[in-house]
Amino acid sequence: MLAANQRLLVIVPAFNEEASLANVIVELRAALPGVRVVVINDGSHDATQQVAEGAGTQVVNLPYNLGIGAAMQTGFIVADEEGFDFAVQVDGDGQHDPREIGRLLQPLLDGTADVVVGSRYLAGPGYVSSTMRRTGIRILAACITVLTGQRCTDATSGFRAANRRAIKLCAAYYPPDYPEPESLVVFRQVGLRAQEVPVSMRARTGGKSSITAARSGYYMLKVLLAIGVMMLRRAPRLREV
Amino acid sequence: MLGDRLTAFIFSMALALLLLVLELVRRRLLAERYSLLWLAMALAVLLLLAASRPMVDRLAALVGISYPPSALFVAGFGGMLVLMLYLTAVITKLSRQNRIAAQRIGLLDSRLRELERPRQPHP
Repeated sequence: MLAANQRLLVIVPAFNEEASLANVIVELRAALPGVRVVVINDGSHDATQQVAEGAGTQVVNLPYNLGIGAAMQTGFIVADEEGFDFAVQVDGDGQHDPREIGRLLQPLLDGTADVVVGSRYLAGPGYVSSTMRRTGIRILAACITVLTGQRCTDATSGFRAANRRAIKLCAAYYPPDYPEPESLVVFRQVGLRAQEVPVSMRARTGGKSSITAARSGYYMLKVLLAIGVMMLRRAPRLREV
Repeated sequence: MLGDRLTAFIFSMALALLLLVLELVRRRLLAERYSLLWLAMALAVLLLLAASRPMVDRLAALVGISYPPSALFVAGFGGMLVLMLYLTAVITKLSRQNRIAAQRIGLLDSRLRELERPRQPHP
């Protein structure tokens, strides 16, 4: 999979994930022995920090909840500053299967993509979210497909892998709040190639999603507005690697 | 039309605001850069009054306000709107700087705990 001189950082954003985090780290270690894992503890009120430390991973404790976007950016800053070649996002809620990381990395290793997104809608049956959420994700995905000209079926997937170029961009600029759909537009703007690969997602093993049914509508509106504004904005400059 | 009592009232309010802003700046409770908008607003009201009623009446007629005192409210409302928009922009900038500081604190804290730990570094 990875060449001897290539280094992979697994970024695990976690907000109140004490129930599922330990298992996520165990699975990561089993799937990728010796892999470097950093847990970004996004101001959790529970024992997320202790669980992560107990599992022997590096933990970055944000002093208060900054949101998934800023948490992920913190992980990308670690990857950038320590010179990692690849970074993978695996959510702390256990819905991403670490055994599928290899599949995410393959297009990066082949040099056919800069960012790879795991899509739950390209794969066969697996965990499927509620009808309302699915419809929302479909609408967003359709918008992003039109805007970027790249096929997108799962705009909100957080199961992603990035190469060095993408790490540099995400460390310098990453959309706040709900970054997944917006970041796809940014990637396109700076000329990074995004690609989807099929993955199967599982129902979260514990804790609660930060996106409740009531917030879904607000989420949709906000993301669509952000994407609209983003199209009017000049693209962030990609520092050359 | 603006009565003399109303003129005196608005004049004293504007003057009080002007003095209050200056005093807050003097005590360093208000940064100079943010005081400028407030000062501009207080001065605008004073100038508008100094230019007196004919001016207000003409202004109102110009934009089609039939009751001239309403023009003052419109102007005041517009000023408030600009000020609030400006403050929201300031908050946006502050929260961005705040985010960057928080991220850096988290990274430094992690690094520090790493250095203080006697065991082997992470794989």
